[in-house]
Amino acid sequence: MSMTMASPTSSAPALSRRPGITMVATMWIIAAGVMGFGGLLASYFGQRGAAQAAGQPWLPDGLALPNVALAVTYLTLVMSAVTAQWAVTAIKQNDRQNLYWALGTTLFLAFAFINGLSFCWRELGLVAGSSPYTTAVYAITVTHLLVVIAAIAAFMVMGFRSLAGQFSSVNSEFVASAAAFWHFAAAAGFVVYFSLWFLEGAPK
Amino acid sequence: MSMTDTRPDTEITAPVSVDGSPIDTPAGLAGWLTSTDHKVVGRLWLVTSLVFLVGGGALGALLGAERLDGGMDILDLGVFQQVYSLHGEVAVFLFLVPFFVGLATYLVPLQVGATEISFPRGASFAYWAYLVSGGLLLASYAADGGLAGGSKTGIDLYLLSITFLNVALCVALVAILTTIVVMRTPGMTLLRTPIFTWSFLVGGGLTLLATPVLIARFIELYVAHHFGGSLTATTGTDWFWAVPQVYVLAIPALGIALEIIPVIAGSRLSPHGAGLIFIGMAGVLGFGAFAQVGPVFDDVLYVGMGLAGALPILGLLGLVGDAMRRGRFSVKAPILLALGSLLLFLMGSVAGAASVIDALDLRGTVWTIGQMHLILEGAALSAALAALWFWAPKIWGVTLSDVAGKLVFLLTFGGALLLAVPDLVSGLVEDQAIGSIDIESGSSVAAMNGLSAAGGALILLAVVVTLLTLLNGLARRGSNPSVDDPWEGFTLEWATASPPPPANFDEPIDLVTSATPVLDRRSDGSEVSV
Repeated sequence: MSMTMASPTSSAPALSRRPGITMVATMWIIAAGVMGFGGLLASYFGQRGAAQAAGQPWLPDGLALPNVALAVTYLTLVMSAVTAQWAVTAIKQNDRQNLYWALGTTLFLAFAFINGLSFCWRELGLVAGSSPYTTAVYAITVTHLLVVIAAIAAFMVMGFRSLAGQFSSVNSEFVASAAAFWHFAAAAGFVVYFSLWFLEGAPK
Repeated sequence: MSMTDTRPDTEITAPVSVDGSPIDTPAGLAGWLTSTDHKVVGRLWLVTSLVFLVGGGALGALLGAERLDGGMDILDLGVFQQVYSLHGEVAVFLFLVPFFVGLATYLVPLQVGATEISFPRGASFAYWAYLVSGGLLLASYAADGGLAGGSKTGIDLYLLSITFLNVALCVALVAILTTIVVMRTPGMTLLRTPIFTWSFLVGGGLTLLATPVLIARFIELYVAHHFGGSLTATTGTDWFWAVPQVYVLAIPALGIALEIIPVIAGSRLSPHGAGLIFIGMAGVLGFGAFAQVGPVFDDVLYVGMGLAGALPILGLLGLVGDAMRRGRFSVKAPILLALGSLLLFLMGSVAGAASVIDALDLRGTVWTIGQMHLILEGAALSAALAALWFWAPKIWGVTLSDVAGKLVFLLTFGGALLLAVPDLVSGLVEDQAIGSIDIESGSSVAAMNGLSAAGGALILLAVVVTLLTLLNGLARRGSNPSVDDPWEGFTLEWATASPPPPANFDEPIDLVTSATPVLDRRSDGSEVSV
């Protein structure tokens, strides 16, 4: 069946570019992720506010937050957002050597974050499910860790594909999308740090 | 609003292998299991969700029978609560959202003139994840799970399976929404998007934003239960099927009705943009349910949004009324089901508006159940069945019996009213609480519950008749094939064969210049701009 609907010479609006498929999907995923973390944190602050209003302690008795370790751990993740963007800049300039360095550094920082987080968990010694605080802490930090692992997976796929010769200055959408998701993971990490650790660890 | 028109650099073509040759889909079961063709995946979603619906309807009939008089005659209290929860979860997570996802998986690429869906493997993964997690959800209830369950393992399995189920739905939504945003054929601006596709962009987009909030809650519940051994009494998950979230879940129903009625009336929706705006309004008014902590009658926003919920539906009814006035009223099954859907949606939104009026004191009564049934089992189900009758020629290459369709309309419309209105009356007059079982035999509430149970049985019968009609049509497909465009449709899915070829369209699509390109071409070949 013929598909001719109208002449292309019509007075249709001027054509313009649409964003790429991968980037649009990434934006949808990030939007969903923002809502998910919003839900987790809203629940956290709701329970925290209710406990404080009832005059009950929110943190378990005797809990000492390892503030320095927590700050360094999450700062590591935030720094990795810079190196992730370095990868985008490099591929847009067709600079593959810098792309590899950026990828490697980003992944190194991500694994350092995971190592730091596991250290913090051990230092904290919280028992999951023993109080609303510990439940929320593990629900939020483990969910965030899964997001970071997903970002690592995207970067590793990107790394293998770039080693195979893919991507260039005119074909950088996947790199930009992976970096956008990485920025989301880092931003979520910053919000998690501020909500769970900074607010609770600040001098009273 | 974006008005961009060109495809990205990565031009979409039919699925090909690494060497560029077309991928041959294996025949038989292997083809179904491995296919990434959006048409195959869409059919799988549709059929599976209908099968789950029959199961959900049977559970509803069981609940209805139990509510006929006082005491627990059939089930004990714990099982009653589990069946009650499962009935709602099957209706929403295993039927309603998956059905619309399946319809969109099949139709959206065709309506926007794309040769495939974006992320076809993701779309396929989403279906299989839905099937597996849906099966695990049922298994968790069989293992004494669910939020009201008594088995620790069963509850853990329930929380994991429903979380994974929602993740699967989100993956499917991302694939469809990306297709709508990026893969529209040149000239098809967002304002020229077919109205079903637009409704899915609104409803699906808002569902994608709301579902992660629910997932977050399930994650929290899982950690609390698995490690702490307890669930909080208020689980904080029931907002997903309450006012106003139910409007978001049912928005694709509006798109289906507005797609079908003008086509069968033979008159385009005018102005097309008004339909898009009203559907967008319905979405805006339905969003944000997760922010509610129970009804908040002193909150102007909560009350205002609840009261305004009926306005977009009135606007849409005005639009289709105008289209029917300018066209011809042909009493076909799809148009009856579509009109029934809009009317039930209007009634449901009016009932929702009443529920936010503090003076009526409807909080916690079965009024809420009646309102929910009007939207979900009434409006959304009617639209789903209308879609089956309207697009069956496109999806399966069969024309479903019009007589059976009219019977299904009577059963669905009458059944929905009979299911919902008694609960509205019991909630308003008798203040019957949700889930109450201490009902005096022979009382007016027992009589109302009897009527409601009869309504549920009629709806179940409608679904069974639909499945039998579909099976009959498929069995006779060889001797009675459908024509490509039996309704003289307006949008691009009707410009290709029924069912479509592997790459959807045999020839390239020229620049689209209106919301009804196929109608324009049929009329006189001239252009009609929106």
